[in-house]
Amino acid sequence: MKAVGARVPRYDGVAHVTGHTQFVDDLRIPGALTVKAYRSPVHNARLTNLDTSRAEAMKGVHVITWKDVPLLEYGHLSALGIPADEPLLAKDEVRYLGQPIAIVAAPTEEAAMAAVDVITADFEELPALFDVRKAFDAGAPQIHVEGNWYRHFENEMDRRQIRKGNVEEAFDQADLIVQGVYRPAAIEHAPIETQVCQVVPEANGRLTIYSCTQALYFSMGVVAAHLQLPLNKLKVVGGTVGGGFGGKVDTATETMCALLAQKSGKPVRWRWTREEEFLCSSTRAPWHMEIADAVTKDGWILGRKMLTLHDSGAYSRFSPYGLTKHSFHHTGAYSIPNLEFDGYVVYTNRTPTTAMRGFGVTSVSFATETHMSRIALELGIDPYELRLKNANRIGDTSPNQIVYTDPSTVPTILAIADAVGHELTPEYRAMTPGQRTGDLLPEHLVGQLADPEAH
Amino acid sequence: MNLTVNGVESTIESGPLTSLLDVLRDELGVTSPKAGCEQGGCGACTVIVDGEPRRSCLTPVASVDGASVTTVEGLGSPEDMAPIQQAFTHHYAAQCGFCTSGMMMAAQAYIDRGGSDDPEAIQEALGGHVCRCTGYVKIIDAVGAAARGDSFDMTVTAAGTAMTNLGGVV
Repeated sequence: MKAVGARVPRYDGVAHVTGHTQFVDDLRIPGALTVKAYRSPVHNARLTNLDTSRAEAMKGVHVITWKDVPLLEYGHLSALGIPADEPLLAKDEVRYLGQPIAIVAAPTEEAAMAAVDVITADFEELPALFDVRKAFDAGAPQIHVEGNWYRHFENEMDRRQIRKGNVEEAFDQADLIVQGVYRPAAIEHAPIETQVCQVVPEANGRLTIYSCTQALYFSMGVVAAHLQLPLNKLKVVGGTVGGGFGGKVDTATETMCALLAQKSGKPVRWRWTREEEFLCSSTRAPWHMEIADAVTKDGWILGRKMLTLHDSGAYSRFSPYGLTKHSFHHTGAYSIPNLEFDGYVVYTNRTPTTAMRGFGVTSVSFATETHMSRIALELGIDPYELRLKNANRIGDTSPNQIVYTDPSTVPTILAIADAVGHELTPEYRAMTPGQRTGDLLPEHLVGQLADPEAH
Repeated sequence: MNLTVNGVESTIESGPLTSLLDVLRDELGVTSPKAGCEQGGCGACTVIVDGEPRRSCLTPVASVDGASVTTVEGLGSPEDMAPIQQAFTHHYAAQCGFCTSGMMMAAQAYIDRGGSDDPEAIQEALGGHVCRCTGYVKIIDAVGAAARGDSFDMTVTAAGTAMTNLGGVV
């Protein structure tokens, strides 16, 4: 902890203030072609009659479509055995506005834009789905052949499910059921540096990929898989990111640039416009969360039922991982012994969603903390004391049976109370994260205890 | 057309409607001004033209023919940093660094015209600049410190830093 509170040198501090930091777009690669995308103008459609011939006939212009991709479908979580559901370039259908269909490289930006302008396709538009709550309705627009939600959690379950204790008994014993619905919106990461990539085909047959990725090794694997190349044919250079916030975890540009560098035999450079960044890059997911808690008059939370619909957008990408983190945190910083959680990764015709600052967890933290305050309000109990009473303590177990050995809820709530000058009764003021005893170990919490020494 | 960039005079070959940003970056290889939005909305491309901060992405180069242009590279070098560069380093005002160049040029222009360390006046001067990382507090602190004429001890904050270079063709 030597660095906390201390003044430390920044690795890249001086370079940043003297203009010496080289971001990906700052590389001057002679002869690099400029890349531009032909994207879906509609949210959901069957795609036919894609015609790139006029663009290909233009001098110095190179075009790639789905036909040029050795392995068209490869998912961001394919390395973990999760089936791919997203083509690198659209083939027979488009599922979101801005989905890439054909990518061009040309000697100048103007030529690249002119080439995109002469690409044509027919779009047989289909009704689009934007509301996760309607995804389960009979007659809802069908986004994927397998349906409107992801079905590949362990043992091919179609949801992330958590069961702990006996939730029905908890609800029978409750004095009050407190319900709430929480719906945080999508957020665009909006880094000041848009997505950018440059790829150089080297004389030795390798491709050097300069990328603003936040996830270099992920991107390397994704590019290698789509191109069906061994990893030693790729040299990926990263590490300088002009803001990412999770939005540069997806492999947005590298694979298509690599294909164009291969096809043209020339270096290529793709810098997304601000408009593309807002319209086509992934966002934080919108979430729909419903919570019902079984509570007692004196402020114990006996049980929780929760339903989460994680809006994945048109493809799953990293969303199953985000929902898993979400589910593990669905009781927040509090011990609730009886749980029934069901979470679905739901497809819509939105831009695919991805990681952003606390992937999957910020949404559930917002919901649980708001819900704690709602319970306190309904019971007429001090919201700090309600939180301290139900706080995770040493020996408590999480929804997925992790034993807490050093939970920080109690000191954090006390510090917040101090910071805002909130008065607590001496009993709460003296609280520690220590193991439950006496009044803090009511019967309903006995069963979930574990021995912290054993872990 | 001619431009004097960071004291060096150059003849410009790009077309007259080419943006000053593209001329700086692509023709002259001066890459500290960034293409954040190319719509005048983010401020990352800001340079000083004849003493005034300007959005280089919205400035056709012909409209500044003969002008003197200053970018971050012209403020000071890593070995001999200008006060505003020292202030940004000392106050950790750069995080990812992408908005930093434009932010510093607007700050330098503000200080050059006699701006004070009043946070509201600094906010006004930097109003057209977007930073997604820092939350602005450290940036405003840094500009205030430079405006006051604070001196900065660089022995800690500037020690052990590396010049980030992607290793490509420069």
